[in-house]
Amino acid sequence: MSEQPAVQSLKVVDAFDLDDELRSILKPGEMVKDPQGRRHRLPRYFYEVTDRETATDIRLTQHFGLNEFIFVDLKEHPRLQGFPRYVPCAVRILAFYLKQFRTAAGASVHIAVNGGYRSPTHKLTTGAANPHLWGTAADVYRIGSNILKTKEAIDKYNEIAEDVSDEIQVFPYGHVTGTTADDHVHFDIGYITLIPRQINEDRMEQPQESRPRFAFEDRRKKERRALPEGVAADEKDD
Amino acid sequence: MVANARHAEEEKLPVPPAKDSVAASEISLYRNVLTIRKEHGLENLGISFYDAETTIQWAYNGDHYFHAASTMKLAVLLGVMRQVERGELTLDSPVHVRNRFTSIVNREPFMLDLGRDADPNVYGHLGKTLSVRELAYWMITLSSNLATNLLVDVIGIDTIQYALDELEIDGVRILRGVEDQAAFEAGLNNEVTANGLLKLLRLVADGRAYSQSASDEMLKIMLDQQLRSGIPAGLPKAARVAHKTGNISTVHHDAGIVYLEGRKPYVLVILTQFAAETGRGTAVAEVSRDIFNTIAGTTA
Repeated sequence: MSEQPAVQSLKVVDAFDLDDELRSILKPGEMVKDPQGRRHRLPRYFYEVTDRETATDIRLTQHFGLNEFIFVDLKEHPRLQGFPRYVPCAVRILAFYLKQFRTAAGASVHIAVNGGYRSPTHKLTTGAANPHLWGTAADVYRIGSNILKTKEAIDKYNEIAEDVSDEIQVFPYGHVTGTTADDHVHFDIGYITLIPRQINEDRMEQPQESRPRFAFEDRRKKERRALPEGVAADEKDD
Repeated sequence: MVANARHAEEEKLPVPPAKDSVAASEISLYRNVLTIRKEHGLENLGISFYDAETTIQWAYNGDHYFHAASTMKLAVLLGVMRQVERGELTLDSPVHVRNRFTSIVNREPFMLDLGRDADPNVYGHLGKTLSVRELAYWMITLSSNLATNLLVDVIGIDTIQYALDELEIDGVRILRGVEDQAAFEAGLNNEVTANGLLKLLRLVADGRAYSQSASDEMLKIMLDQQLRSGIPAGLPKAARVAHKTGNISTVHHDAGIVYLEGRKPYVLVILTQFAAETGRGTAVAEVSRDIFNTIAGTTA
């Protein structure tokens, strides 16, 4: 039996080096406020998943394939419905905690479509920060053969998850709308970013051979270039 | 050649003019419909049909609004094809299958009773994806409520009504998906008239529901209908029917395009409403049979 490739075999990309469209989708390094008004910086380093086979083959743990964390539907930006796909490097840490959860629950744990990494342009992203944008949250819809749809089931597994580690946050039944229906356990480990060891952090200060760090910087640079001669930027703004 | 044709025409003179034949058929049909209504204790009955072969159009109570039941799924299908034609959606797009929807009344979430939904082909994929094409297929052919609500979520309820307005289909009002109990209790229901559904189906039959390819896609799905106790039950076995049924406690409907060998199709909508909860019965099939006999008589 051939050994399955490990996540370390994937190429790590600095999202600032990606093309304009991808940068505008992934928004690396941009600050986003959470519902409480706290600011968090979006991840910058991503694994590049070149094709579906790679996504299926790579295991983050014995029981969790990488594909489960990037399984999306048409709510995701069309560019990220195909390949290559990008997932924040911290997804490995999430998989580690999910492994503990799986052991504690005593059954297989299944992540729903759109329940792993979501880009900031995913239609379920409301504009506020949430750990799905960091690749550090999972919406679990099934445990063993039990499809989670009742308060009892969701409360039970929420409790098990909370007992695994203080780092894990779950949401109560009906957390999205605050009331009567829910279909998953939300499991997250907060706003963690992972900088792989092969990354030289000098680039944090001088990225991409003097290319702009952010998509909006690029846009502004182009806008400045487009100004008619003799017109100052502030005049144009008026 | 012209003289021969005139001669042939003169020879036909003893035969009663087609107009009289149609009128006689209409009177006969009207009587039959009244009998069926009485025999089955129907509180209300709406019928509309159009025959592309003879261009006969006939309606009984055609503008009366009924609870749409699952015939509303034809409008959802139309809305889906609108988005596909505009390039805003592809039939291969994956859709997350989940059982959580939002009521139009109070924005409260609700779930479908999957025990009542006849279609494990959809709820068997909970947590996974099905393509827009697959959802459309199960929505029509097995009347999957889960597939319907998922597609309504994908395209938006406003898009569906917009599609109907855009194609000038009066008599089909779509406010919500299915099993929205809060909306039902607030009296907010999808409604259809026989003439409204007839207009929709005629566009599909004529290849004018956005485009020939969109119409063909809709027809292909509708021809695979698996619930056949309505219009097809009143027809010879060889008839092919592209249709959609609609059944809830007190209403039993069917709306379809009937293809018979050697002639153009006819479009038929039969809407029935009972005073109290009842089984499906045979009223729709009997009306279908009478329409078929009339059509066969006028084209014999």
